[in-house]
Amino acid sequence: MRFRPADILRRITTTLALLALPLVTGGWTSGPQSTFDTKGPVAKAQLEVFHVTVYVTFAVFFIVAGILAYATIKYKARSDSAEKAPVPDQGHGNPFIELGLIGASIAALVVIAVPTLRAIWYTYDVPEAERANAYEVNARGLQWWFQFEYPHEQIDGSGQLVTGNELVIPAGRPVRINLRTSDVIHSFWVPKLGGKVDMMPNRGNHLWLQADEPGYFWGQCAEFCGESHAVMRFRVIALAADDFAAWLENQKKPARDVVAPAGAKAVLASYDMTPKKRNAPGYTADFDANPLAAWTAMQFPEKDEDAVLVNQGRKLFAEKNCVTCHAVRGHGASGVNAPDLTHFGSRTTLAAGLLENNKPNLHRWIVDPNNVKPGNKMYMGVNGMAGYMTADDKGRMTKAHIQVNDTEARAIVEYLHSLK
Amino acid sequence: MEAALKTAYTAPESAAKTSARPWFFTRPKAKTGLVSWLTTVDHKKIGLLYAITALFFFLVGGVEALMIRVQLAVPNNTFISHQLYNELFTMHATTMIFLAVMPLSAAFFNYMMPLQIGARDVAFPRLNGFAFWVFLAGAIVLNVGWFTRAGAPDSGWFGYAPLTSVAYSNQFSGDSSTDLWVMGLQILGVSSVIGSLNFIVTIINMRAPGLTMMRLPVFTWMTLFTAFLIILSFPAITIALVELMMDRSFGTGFFEVAKGGLPILWQHLFWIFGHPEVYILILPAMGVVSEILPTFSRKPLFGYPIVVFSGAVIGFLGFGVWSHHMFTTGMGTMATAAFSLATMAIAVPTGVKIFNWVGTLWGGQIITRTPMMFALGFIWMFMMGGFSGVMHSAAPADAQQQDSYFVVAHFHYVLIGGSIFALLAGIHYWFPLVFGRMVSEFWGKLSFWVIFVGFNVTFFPMHFLGLNGMPRRTAVYDGNMGWNSANLVASIGAFILAIGIGIYFAVMVYTYFKGKKATGDVWDARTLEWAVPTTPPPEHNFNVTPTVHARDAFWYEKTHAKEIAEEKAKHAKDEDSHGGIHMPSQSWFPLVTATGLLIGGLFFTHHNFQGAIAGGCIMLLGVLGWAFEGPGGYHLHIHKDGTVTGGEGQDEASH
Repeated sequence: MRFRPADILRRITTTLALLALPLVTGGWTSGPQSTFDTKGPVAKAQLEVFHVTVYVTFAVFFIVAGILAYATIKYKARSDSAEKAPVPDQGHGNPFIELGLIGASIAALVVIAVPTLRAIWYTYDVPEAERANAYEVNARGLQWWFQFEYPHEQIDGSGQLVTGNELVIPAGRPVRINLRTSDVIHSFWVPKLGGKVDMMPNRGNHLWLQADEPGYFWGQCAEFCGESHAVMRFRVIALAADDFAAWLENQKKPARDVVAPAGAKAVLASYDMTPKKRNAPGYTADFDANPLAAWTAMQFPEKDEDAVLVNQGRKLFAEKNCVTCHAVRGHGASGVNAPDLTHFGSRTTLAAGLLENNKPNLHRWIVDPNNVKPGNKMYMGVNGMAGYMTADDKGRMTKAHIQVNDTEARAIVEYLHSLK
Repeated sequence: MEAALKTAYTAPESAAKTSARPWFFTRPKAKTGLVSWLTTVDHKKIGLLYAITALFFFLVGGVEALMIRVQLAVPNNTFISHQLYNELFTMHATTMIFLAVMPLSAAFFNYMMPLQIGARDVAFPRLNGFAFWVFLAGAIVLNVGWFTRAGAPDSGWFGYAPLTSVAYSNQFSGDSSTDLWVMGLQILGVSSVIGSLNFIVTIINMRAPGLTMMRLPVFTWMTLFTAFLIILSFPAITIALVELMMDRSFGTGFFEVAKGGLPILWQHLFWIFGHPEVYILILPAMGVVSEILPTFSRKPLFGYPIVVFSGAVIGFLGFGVWSHHMFTTGMGTMATAAFSLATMAIAVPTGVKIFNWVGTLWGGQIITRTPMMFALGFIWMFMMGGFSGVMHSAAPADAQQQDSYFVVAHFHYVLIGGSIFALLAGIHYWFPLVFGRMVSEFWGKLSFWVIFVGFNVTFFPMHFLGLNGMPRRTAVYDGNMGWNSANLVASIGAFILAIGIGIYFAVMVYTYFKGKKATGDVWDARTLEWAVPTTPPPEHNFNVTPTVHARDAFWYEKTHAKEIAEEKAKHAKDEDSHGGIHMPSQSWFPLVTATGLLIGGLFFTHHNFQGAIAGGCIMLLGVLGWAFEGPGGYHLHIHKDGTVTGGEGQDEASH
């Protein structure tokens, strides 16, 4: 076989490129939703099966690709005369080679099939031995947010405990999640804890997962569900047993009342509220550095809370008709079309895991929801209730029902953040 | 007796008879110009119409893809709105599948299959024209939404219920974009089924003497399998679409949750169509590659019977794996396990094909012309797509991959690296046959390398994006998810790919007008389509219907030149004994009938039922005219010196 310099050069560049690949892609496997950074048994079992498929397919790939590359190089006609050489042997094939290769492919697939079957049964439901220890919650998908229900945490006079967009679970314990939807198909996916299962209308799906250690996890709707599917996200917070119990106890309480000292005057919060572009990011590096600590800090009332402003906000919350869709238990708000806000101030995110729950973000969401989450029901209306706007039959926004100015928004923000 | 027979055969052509028919029943005769294209029944012209339309929509789909990649190039981008993004990914998929790859395959079926089996046309020439015009009508219905206020369809190419219901898909009450999608796909289904029946009848009945089934070129085999897949799978989606149309237009409750409908039913019906559809897209590509590899290795396809049989097995198993698209819908353990294993099983016949292609190269004399480069690229890329497919078949692993960018990477490796590479190879390979001009090797190879690099730079990082948790169909992502650099690389790759495609088509257009003239068998090919007397082939394809003695029939002709020449001389006058080479007449009615379908369809989507009925009436009038315009047909005569006489409307006395 004769090599020309160009061929050798090409082969060296190819080898270098292949060697450089892991350097480039090294950073591509870690992130808040990485399926490699598993934090529980379900995700681990799924990753193990994935690894088996990788080993088998890579082995077969290197063999077949090696032969393909060898054949291409060895039998390539490298000159005009080689191209015009007498035709090669017109062989039609060899049945024994064919049968051997079929047999080998089947054997390779069996290697994948066995762990696959084992994991299908393991990941389907909480293992028998641990069923008694499993904690049960319901997750409900709606356009475009998640409602989480705790069927075993009953509140006198109000039924089960309900929260939105942040699922708090006990760590080190299997959690069985019943998956429901109120409108279209959604899919529940927390990559570090386990693969996704869809929320299907007229169908009672479930999944199970377990966070081995306390932690803060990113999740996202994984089935296309309409205009704002991309920003239908949520978080899962896994807590040690006593923290979880304390959290539950607080959540079962009605919304917090803040009493203003007599004669006190409201001071508007002084955060910067320059208008943001749509899709403007709502995350900060500080938060991402230790999200669980940030979550913990959110559980306690803010030190600089302005009691007068909180009560103004509470009044505006009713006047602006927020109460028709949102529930704030104990504050006379009992709407069911939108997330329950009874303890909104204790959540780290808003608008379904989209923005960090800080004052400027919340302000932006209240004043200009459609540029944060296009088509959202707070803006467009839901189940016959008008939202901020009404549209005509051509889709043009015609009438404003709800308008919130800057001052009002600051009061409402203060109120919602007081709901710890 | 002979005279009487002759009169019977030639009667329809006599001028007196033709002029006696009312004007709207006379068959059009133009052989050039617009009318010749609008009324054509020639499989080669129809093939070209398919190809041009498909390539136009391929570019439209490509522009849609570029807009998607621009939006995703950086996090929190505001290049396009969520709504437009949803329309773009819906239409990108629908366009690429139904308006680009399928019709481009149909173009090859139309042009090459009759040539490969030594036929003069397909079995039902007018029906063939009708299939094209109906396809065009469907394409218009699908895309007309871009020019309306509601915009294009936006529920995804899979249209999962209940997102397609009136309550969830209409941005406002007059929004008919989903109706356009439903109607467009139904019309396209009509076209596909008609075309497929035509191909099946043609392959079964119109093979040249001696061309037994096991001597068929592999491309023709794949045409046959694809046609069967289409007629067996399209009824499922047609039923689903009719039910959805009823739900949307007349308030039935097949998929309406409030009325007890079952959205999961849609998914089953859709994927019973949708998975065979994957093979409808890839089998023609495999056929093209199975023609190119032997030609440029200068030896027969390795293991021909096994390649054919594995094609059949893929087609058959393809109907038994649909629920692997639904591993996350909560099917339960047993169904998941069954579909998981069935999906692994389908990797075996697919792997067999790859082994046989490698076997074809082995011991050959590999000539790396541009078509061969694309074909080799196909094997590499399809292999990678196949292996990520095996990863999906393991349901527990798929729970993480489903609806993530890993899936996007997988099927683009199969559909671009697979189907598109093979179809681009096919265009290059058959360009000299169809247009009689050679594409420049330098520019051809350049376009291949730019496309190859651009494609991998675009889609290889998506494997990582998916495994790193990035879901599909998301218009925007945050910058703190670890997805930024891979997305930017993918977007840069998309533009490299676009440049490659641009070079490819610029070269093709240049070659069409200015390319080096090529005549005859430029690649030293092996199959019958290269046995045509001239390039481009004449209207009647072959002067003498070929007799086939072996697989790779043209190779046999070349290696047994004397024997074949004697045989051809013997059969040269065969067809003159019954009046000459019989050719079908052109007709307006396929176009009229399809236009009725278009008008009716458009009115129906706007719930204007008077208009829909009017369109239906035009369609019925078209069918009526079609039935009553008479059999048509005319005869051609080939003379010793190769000249052709006779033709539409010329009387028989001319010879």
